Amino acid sequence: MKALARLNHFYWEYKHLFIPGLLCTMASAAFLVAVPIVVREIIDSIPRFVELYNVFEGSEAQGTMFNLFAGGLLLFAGIIVALSLASGFFSFLMRQTIVVASRHIEFDLRNQLYDHLQRLSPKFYRDYTTGDVITRSTDDIEKVRRYVGPAIMYITRAIVVVATAITVMFIISPTLTLYALLPMPFLAVSIFFVARIVHKRSEALQKQYSNVTTRVQEALTGIRVIKSYTREDAENAAFEEESAQYRARQLDLAWVDSAWRPILLLLVGASQVIVVWMGGRLVIDGAITIGNIAEYLIYVQMMTWPVASLGFVITMVQRASASMERLNELFDTEPEISDGPQTDYSITTLEGHMAFEHVSYYFEEGEEWALKDVSFEIPAGGTLAIVGRTGAGKSTLIDLIPRLIDPTEGTVRIDGHDVRTIPLDTLRSTMGYVPQDVFLFSDTVANNIAFGVTDPGEQRIRRAAQEADLLENIEAFPEGFDTFVGERGITLSGGQKQRSSIARALIRRPSILLLDDALSAVDTETETTILNHLRAQEGHHTLVMVSHRISAVQEADLILVLEHGRVTQQGTHNELLEQGGLYRDLHEKQRLQEQIEAL
Amino acid sequence: MASTSEHTNGQTAEQEKQQRTFDSGLLRRIVAYLLPYKTYVAGAFVLVILAAVLGPVQPWLIQIAIDDYIVASDYDGLLLIIGLLAGALVLEGTLRFVNSYLTQWIGQHAIYDLRTTVFRHIQNQPLGFFDKTPIGRLITRATSDVESISDVLSQGVVTILGDCFKLLFIAAFMFYLDWRLAIVTLTVMPLMVWVTFWFRRKVSVQYRETRKQVARLNSFMQEHVTGMPIVQLFNREEEEMRRFRDINNSHRRAHINTIFYFALFWPAVSIVSDVALGLVLWVGGIAAMADTVTLGVLVAFIQYARRFFEPIRNLSDQYNTLLSGMAGAERVFGLLDTDAALQEPDAPAPMNGLKGHIEFRNVWFTYDALPEDGSAPNWILQDVSFEITPGDTVAIVGATGAGKTTLINLLLRFYDVQRGEILVDGVNVQAYRLKDLRNHVGLVLQDVFLFSGSVERNLTLGDEAIEAADVRRAVEAIGAKGFIERLPNGYQQDVRERGASLSHGQRQLLAFARAMLYDPKLLVLDEATSSVDTETELIMQQALDTVMEGRTCLVIAHRLSTVREADQILVMHRGELREQGTHEELLHQEGLYRKLYEYQYKEQERRALTS
Repeated sequence: MKALARLNHFYWEYKHLFIPGLLCTMASAAFLVAVPIVVREIIDSIPRFVELYNVFEGSEAQGTMFNLFAGGLLLFAGIIVALSLASGFFSFLMRQTIVVASRHIEFDLRNQLYDHLQRLSPKFYRDYTTGDVITRSTDDIEKVRRYVGPAIMYITRAIVVVATAITVMFIISPTLTLYALLPMPFLAVSIFFVARIVHKRSEALQKQYSNVTTRVQEALTGIRVIKSYTREDAENAAFEEESAQYRARQLDLAWVDSAWRPILLLLVGASQVIVVWMGGRLVIDGAITIGNIAEYLIYVQMMTWPVASLGFVITMVQRASASMERLNELFDTEPEISDGPQTDYSITTLEGHMAFEHVSYYFEEGEEWALKDVSFEIPAGGTLAIVGRTGAGKSTLIDLIPRLIDPTEGTVRIDGHDVRTIPLDTLRSTMGYVPQDVFLFSDTVANNIAFGVTDPGEQRIRRAAQEADLLENIEAFPEGFDTFVGERGITLSGGQKQRSSIARALIRRPSILLLDDALSAVDTETETTILNHLRAQEGHHTLVMVSHRISAVQEADLILVLEHGRVTQQGTHNELLEQGGLYRDLHEKQRLQEQIEAL
Repeated sequence: MASTSEHTNGQTAEQEKQQRTFDSGLLRRIVAYLLPYKTYVAGAFVLVILAAVLGPVQPWLIQIAIDDYIVASDYDGLLLIIGLLAGALVLEGTLRFVNSYLTQWIGQHAIYDLRTTVFRHIQNQPLGFFDKTPIGRLITRATSDVESISDVLSQGVVTILGDCFKLLFIAAFMFYLDWRLAIVTLTVMPLMVWVTFWFRRKVSVQYRETRKQVARLNSFMQEHVTGMPIVQLFNREEEEMRRFRDINNSHRRAHINTIFYFALFWPAVSIVSDVALGLVLWVGGIAAMADTVTLGVLVAFIQYARRFFEPIRNLSDQYNTLLSGMAGAERVFGLLDTDAALQEPDAPAPMNGLKGHIEFRNVWFTYDALPEDGSAPNWILQDVSFEITPGDTVAIVGATGAGKTTLINLLLRFYDVQRGEILVDGVNVQAYRLKDLRNHVGLVLQDVFLFSGSVERNLTLGDEAIEAADVRRAVEAIGAKGFIERLPNGYQQDVRERGASLSHGQRQLLAFARAMLYDPKLLVLDEATSSVDTETELIMQQALDTVMEGRTCLVIAHRLSTVREADQILVMHRGELREQGTHEELLHQEGLYRKLYEYQYKEQERRALTS
């Protein structure tokens, strides 16, 4: 429960909704409880009236008397409707304040969470899956909301209805009240237990549902294996088994779920039977009236939901507490990489001189070094190329520059500053980064390109697209730059995506341009075009590029060859060719590949 | 995520379309799944009607208790009625419970039948079907779409009938007690129906909007959690925060609009039923004064006035369940109605033990449908012919996209050729039963697919006829014994848990052992390209030798030793068979093979020499 304490400040913040809300809840309940009293008055007045009517037997006044009483009945009926309207009016306001407030709190909480997520470093996103983060920001927040709003509303309403109803009932007859309320505690307790079992079995059901889904997914992804080993029948049998399990879980749940209404029915019904039974005895004894029985019958029915809701509310609060704990876990995660006391805010611009000094990095302690003792230096405006096999540490090296990760040992310097002292905002806004796995947002082409700049204007967007050799493609799209990419729009080819990603980096006019294998999906010709554009601006930016193609890197000022996280060769193209080793192997292989392709 | 994204886009549109047309043919098809359980369905009907009577009977009993016994001060008579009342109550509760369980039991059994039918249908489709249909969509069909029909089957029909009967019985009892009061009470019914359906209509529009906003919020989160580094590197935090706030705000708006309708609905319901109460008391009171209505009847009517609402609300709920079930049913039956399963021969050629003679005769093939205008399709294979004699090992080499994998796909008849024919033991593959053909062919793919579950399950693929001893023997022959026994749970190790840490080589070994177990006469193999360390290399080599021994083998070769030892090498290039011969012969030709050799295999040779 302690986790929920964090939400308390919200009640204060929304007190302008909660205080009137709670008052309305009470008012609504009070008017509601008054209705049965009127009903009793009407019923009890009838015998009294008949008595009085008979006194005037034969006189003129009898007719007037009848009309008078009939008018009185109409008035009473009118009062019932008026009370109901008043209760309804306040109940309307109650939901419009308390439930609405819970939606405001949900809104605030989710904004807070997203804001926090934006500050967290890549390590966090390695530790938590996307699905997990999304579940927390949707399901868990929703569960917390139910506690903040509805749960509190139900509780207040329950307390007011039950307390006033019991008071009125007690005044009439303490004995009958005790008897009539006998089943109520059972109602609350059994609802609580049924709710708990339902929850548990729903979870078991959900789990089995995902087993079924996994089974389908596997059978379909592994369809080639299944077909080649003619295991279709076995797979069908296995799927039938999972489906039968699912059916069994469904029926487990159906068993308790079916108990739900009957329990409610039986316990309320029991109260009513007791009222007629014991009440009937009291009427025979002359202690109470028939009107009281009618009144009690309504009270008992009126109390059913509030009492039952107590059972639900306990479960609601428990779930909210568990959800809040999961949320707090995120809120309490500190960003690994952020500005801090070491940050030197006087650094506002960067030229692009770059140096690695004995930089080493591992992802987790105890794992192998992803990078080990890497040192090099590149002047502002220079070009650095990194080659090596898959898994050699090329992307890791690049990620150290914009501080997606911080080195475990050693220092990365830009313009002589340790990158950790450069304000993150300054550091990153001087860079253009093109990742290996292209990520575009489902938005228009123009907005994707202009992602990293504010109000660039059409000209700059066109220019960036042109430099990335994308302009012709875009103009061929149905709606040009306004074409939507992604699920809701057109699907771009791998090469088009990469070039969009490059345009997005170029439009920033960065002092440092990072290309992480950014041309792998484009053909050699396009690669040359793009590289020529980049070279035309040589000196304007420091270029760091990872590539598998020797053709792309051979003109670099410095080429690093990475093997298992270590720099095994470095120098210019010609120097490296002379040295032999991996670089020359790669060069040789590529030449052959070109020849084969040409055949 | 494929399923959710489809849900947000395609399905809402489909649903909307559905909501305009209520297809009775479709409903009949759904209901057909109840036929096997018709006795139970009949039972459920009886129960639901009984329960529907027992509810309204209770206020009537209360009326008798008041008028005949309480007013008459007959305590013993009162006890009798109380007994009856309690009996009716308990019986109603029990019947409702049994009935609710029974209808769900029927529904779940029917839905099980439907689900397994759908799965079986999907499994029967040829590979070409899976190339064209996104797997996410198929998963949705077999899971959530089927699930949406479930409610229609389990509750739909029976519950709708039950609620109708309940309304009917309440009305009947009221008329029996006093027809004037019955009419007075029933006057509010149209109002109640109108309020309920008005609310249902408003809320379902609102729900659609809410679902849309939830989907928007989710896809924003999905996208931004995945692309967070980009947001951060491009300093877009502020702007994205603003956009998130907007989306979050629309989400909140949609919910708050929904609250409005709920806030209006619940009070409206109790106001309407209190109007009925007021009317009953007014009209009934006057009648009671004139002594034409008893107090007991008045009390009973107070109860009836409050009992109307539940069945009406249930009916409006059921209507929605039906609609969403229909939308799911349309998609599910749409899938069942398209059957692209390969034609099995009417009179299959017998296959008693395969010898392993293979011939490709002028084979042309494309994965696309042949263009209708007669223009040249995008041929993947062009006029490929070759022959393999039983017991030979044949290596296929070529650059990426040369058509190597396609050869394998056609041999196993994953696809049918467009021109030419493929003969196994002199008979066209299309003349065999698919099962016979594939039972005699072992396939080991480069990207080894492991199912979740134990190592053992992955070896036997769930075939219980394979004995544990056979498994052990195969594993030992392949040389996988060592690593399997080192796993914490040995053969029972769940590969999903260890999935990531099973190395590529280990996965390959499992696949070899799998092939050994099935003991095929013809082995089709796609060798792994990735380099492994020398020790694993040695194990792999032995495993390969073991598994290939005594079988006809067709290998997409990536290893120097394989091409060297092959009886024949097929050199594929751009869908054509360019060169054919042994390693030595082809090297001497100084052609394509020579280049490929230098590109792909020479490095291995150098490494082999140095180590």
